[in-house]
Amino acid sequence: MSQELLSGLIARTALGDRKAFSALYDQTNAKLFGVALRILKDRAQAEDAIQEVYVRIWRRAGSFREGQASAMAWLVTIARNQAIDLIRSRQPATLEYDDAPDVADASPDPEAQALMSGEARRIDRCLGELEENKAAAVVAAYVEGLSYQELADRNAVPLNTMRTWLRRSLIKLRECLSR
Amino acid sequence: MSTGAEIPNDNALAGEYVLGVLPLAERRMVEERMTRDSDFATLVASWQADLSNLDEAYQPETPPAGVKARIDARLFAEAARPAGGLWGSLVFWRGLALASVTAAVALGIYTSDFGRRAGPGTTPSLVAELGAPGSSVGLIAALDPAEGAFTITPAAFSPDDGKSLELWLVPGDGVPVSLGLVPGDGGRLVLDRDLVDQVSDGALLAVSVEPLGGSPTGTATGPVVLSGSLSKK
Repeated sequence: MSQELLSGLIARTALGDRKAFSALYDQTNAKLFGVALRILKDRAQAEDAIQEVYVRIWRRAGSFREGQASAMAWLVTIARNQAIDLIRSRQPATLEYDDAPDVADASPDPEAQALMSGEARRIDRCLGELEENKAAAVVAAYVEGLSYQELADRNAVPLNTMRTWLRRSLIKLRECLSR
Repeated sequence: MSTGAEIPNDNALAGEYVLGVLPLAERRMVEERMTRDSDFATLVASWQADLSNLDEAYQPETPPAGVKARIDARLFAEAARPAGGLWGSLVFWRGLALASVTAAVALGIYTSDFGRRAGPGTTPSLVAELGAPGSSVGLIAALDPAEGAFTITPAAFSPDDGKSLELWLVPGDGVPVSLGLVPGDGGRLVLDRDLVDQVSDGALLAVSVEPLGGSPTGTATGPVVLSGSLSKK
């Protein structure tokens, strides 16, 4: 379904049109359930989350602004936020740093930098400018909703190092995306 | 030791928020800041727009069939809370036989209640007596125009376990509009404001049997068991 049609359904949902809301559900539930399932990795929890997601969509439909985000991106953002809030609520509310010394950055990986062609989407091109493991961390954090602790475990580095890496990667990424 | 968080960079913080890596307390702090710092909120929106290109990684997966009905039940059945007043005598009504309910309407019990609530000079209440075709009354729906709500009196009709009764308005164009679920024990069914204007003298009301929580499709999916026209009482 086109973004224009989805935008129209969101606009009608904002007016309290239940038929439009049902049509919006029909068109988007599989994608949003896929988001919840990927992040929560548990069908029962994803089922709970998806209900909350559509309750939020019904209540917040009026805040959707075409042009700021595509309709599907707006819906996925609601689903991601709901799923991430749910898993974070069962984890420590603040980061508990250990006293481990920082691990030095590896030198830039020229192969990874050359990986993406100029034709690729901007996000892919800019991720390609990061070292491979840093780009992978950014993508895993976004797609799977990994916490800093999970990223640190996966990369076998202390939590503080992981945060430094990721923040530096984000700053580089933003510089590239803004070019 | 450094935590990385010491690098004072709003772009990094906005990016961390959109990635989702932050613990809950920091997520709430970022969201609070977004409400009072529009420049920062713009940074978050930029990250959301850029990173949404990664959304392709999410494979569609069909949720279980009952999910939409539960969403609708949460959103639309909340409006159907029993109220006080007349409903203090709900137990009385529940036990009534069909004939008695019909008689109660004839005696003006409902209309006197609504007259008092709406005050003099307001639009008269519309009442529909809904029954199965060719039989007597199974349910009474009285519109209180001042409050935009139906008061529902179930007479001798209740759905099977695991089913809901959904009330539909059939306006002039013939496309039924759901008015919501019939409250299990009677009570008030508050309508969306734009629906109230469509409820007029002579309009048809119908009740269908739907899965628990209401029709999953937005149109009646089960049999219509009761119907009746609205008229001024």
